[in-house]
Amino acid sequence: MGQVQSLKSAVLNGARRLLGKPVEKRARLHALSDVTFSVNSGEVIGIIGQNGAGKSTLLKLISGITPPSRGTVSVEGSIAPLIEVGAGFIPDFTGRENIYLNGAILGIPKRVLERKLDDIVAFAELEDFIDTPIKRYSSGMQVRLGFALATSMDADILIVDEVLAVGDLAFQRKCFDRIESLIRQSGKTILIVSHNIRQVERLCGRVLLLDQGRLLQEGSAATICDSFYALMNKKIRHNIEQSANSSQRVISSGEVTDVQVQVLDRDGLSTDQVQSGDPLRIRVTFTLRSSLNKPEFHIGTHTTDFFYLTGSSSALVERPDVLLPGRHAVQQDIAMYSIVPGTYAVRFAVLDKFRRVVYHGETLALFTVSQSLRESLQDELRIVDLPVNWSIDGRLLNKSFDLQDIVSREVQ
Amino acid sequence: MLRVLTNLFRYRELIGVLAWKNIAMRYKQAFLGIAWAVLKPVMLMTIFTVIRGFIGIDSGAIPYPILTFAALMPWTLFQESASDGVNSVVGNAHLIRKIYFPREIFPVTAVVTKTVEFLINCLILAGLMVWYGIAPSWQILWVPLLLLYVLLASLAIAFVGAAMNVYFRDVSAALPVVLSLMMYLSPVIYPIHLVQEKLLRHGGNGSILYTVYLMNPLAGVIDAFQRVVLRGLPPDPATLLPGGAIVALLLPVSFLIFKRAEAYFADVI
Repeated sequence: MGQVQSLKSAVLNGARRLLGKPVEKRARLHALSDVTFSVNSGEVIGIIGQNGAGKSTLLKLISGITPPSRGTVSVEGSIAPLIEVGAGFIPDFTGRENIYLNGAILGIPKRVLERKLDDIVAFAELEDFIDTPIKRYSSGMQVRLGFALATSMDADILIVDEVLAVGDLAFQRKCFDRIESLIRQSGKTILIVSHNIRQVERLCGRVLLLDQGRLLQEGSAATICDSFYALMNKKIRHNIEQSANSSQRVISSGEVTDVQVQVLDRDGLSTDQVQSGDPLRIRVTFTLRSSLNKPEFHIGTHTTDFFYLTGSSSALVERPDVLLPGRHAVQQDIAMYSIVPGTYAVRFAVLDKFRRVVYHGETLALFTVSQSLRESLQDELRIVDLPVNWSIDGRLLNKSFDLQDIVSREVQ
Repeated sequence: MLRVLTNLFRYRELIGVLAWKNIAMRYKQAFLGIAWAVLKPVMLMTIFTVIRGFIGIDSGAIPYPILTFAALMPWTLFQESASDGVNSVVGNAHLIRKIYFPREIFPVTAVVTKTVEFLINCLILAGLMVWYGIAPSWQILWVPLLLLYVLLASLAIAFVGAAMNVYFRDVSAALPVVLSLMMYLSPVIYPIHLVQEKLLRHGGNGSILYTVYLMNPLAGVIDAFQRVVLRGLPPDPATLLPGGAIVALLLPVSFLIFKRAEAYFADVI
């Protein structure tokens, strides 16, 4: 019953059944299989995974929209679905009418809704427009109203599916605070699905990592989020290596070709792994097709999601007057690459003397930064690990002391 | 049965709000607004009256326009709530995919919405009765019961149609054709006593044919509606029985098919 067939295949299959012949079957896709977990009342659970991992299917099963084809889902208490903010908005209705309509759809009794109306309107910052048809709202105003309404439900279990990324930055902050206060004050059970892993890490006590319909890992937020990052970086790396140049973002005038990027270790050998805090050397070799006057080079590193970490220009140092056609190599040495462990990529650019971009490429090479030998404290709480000096009451602390020593000394 | 009803009662607020949405949505930004609800039967009544001028239909003691309007009221209610009911599930796909509440709410809401329009048409009927000087009798108290019957007949079509429509959209394409054919098989343009006379006078299998005619769930109730409102007579049980039996049989089957298919709506829709 759960599948639609065309009339042709329905008739043919019907005929086959009558004749006792095997019926043409469709390949089944199990969006989820072998996923077992339980959530206690008052817990905040994050569900993360790549696209198509089965997150939304899982939420649909939990909220009863679809029944599982096998297995059971048991839920105690009322569920408030936050799946897609403002799904049922009618453009011709005013904000107020939509609040009543969607409130009823979400199962908020009218009495409760009337009591909370001012609250909802105030939170959505729509006091002046509540009697305007929402087709005249900006898209930000609509999602604000949807979020305000959805989070005003009194259900025992809240489901938050990618709704924290609504509105402008200030409103996102407000949404985040509202969810946080729901967690802290009301002690509701909350399920959060998000691609914003840092948010999940911050809000959730426990995280489930789904991969291709299976429960890959389950555990504390920090552990699971880190292993998700590792998984994603592996996948990105795999994608980039698979498709060679096609996934690189390259803009080129054609004057610079055959760009090769190498990451070198201490001894000048090509590598793809450096330790956090070690020197990083990036060498770029390329072929120049026509001579270039006063060229300027940029070399930088970025995360796999294009957050630029480092970057320097050769404009500040002595520049060659002219670079003749042929094979050239530029090298940038970073004395201490103090970025936390992870997978990073190299960016390279060439500009001419008018600062015209001759070549610009991202993700030209990937390298992994591994944990430094000096056992670092909390890598998840920073991106850059810079050398620092400490002092207490104006007295500079000697490097050899560690924090533990000082605390125990103060206690004595 | 009782469980079905209590469940619906639990969701009465939602049904009410959704019905209000349907009505408000249909008439917002429409210059004539709610007048559209009465315009359709009034125009049909006018056309039928003009046609009758050419072909001549014997309407007995009752003036033809009001007789046909009284037939159009239950008919329009049935036709529109059945077709809106069939389209209600697919039309609310965005909600089906996002939120769970019992899916029978959608066809039921469609029927409730059309009942509101029926009540508005009652005002027009009252106006016509004043115009033609027809005084209502106590028999008019049968109307709520007849109304309920029409709603159940609509739901019998709506449930199974809505469920099938999720799988095959052909249903919503075929439905208007089937329903307009059904109107000619119902005593809307002509009064039922013409059919009765024609078929029963034949003798032989004429009475069987008449019973088959009455198995159309709407045939008997249209006549009953005209009787209680215009003629001051009680409904004729013999006329209502065949259609009533069909509805009593179809409705539970239709509902069960709907409930069985319901679980997969979100996947298929």
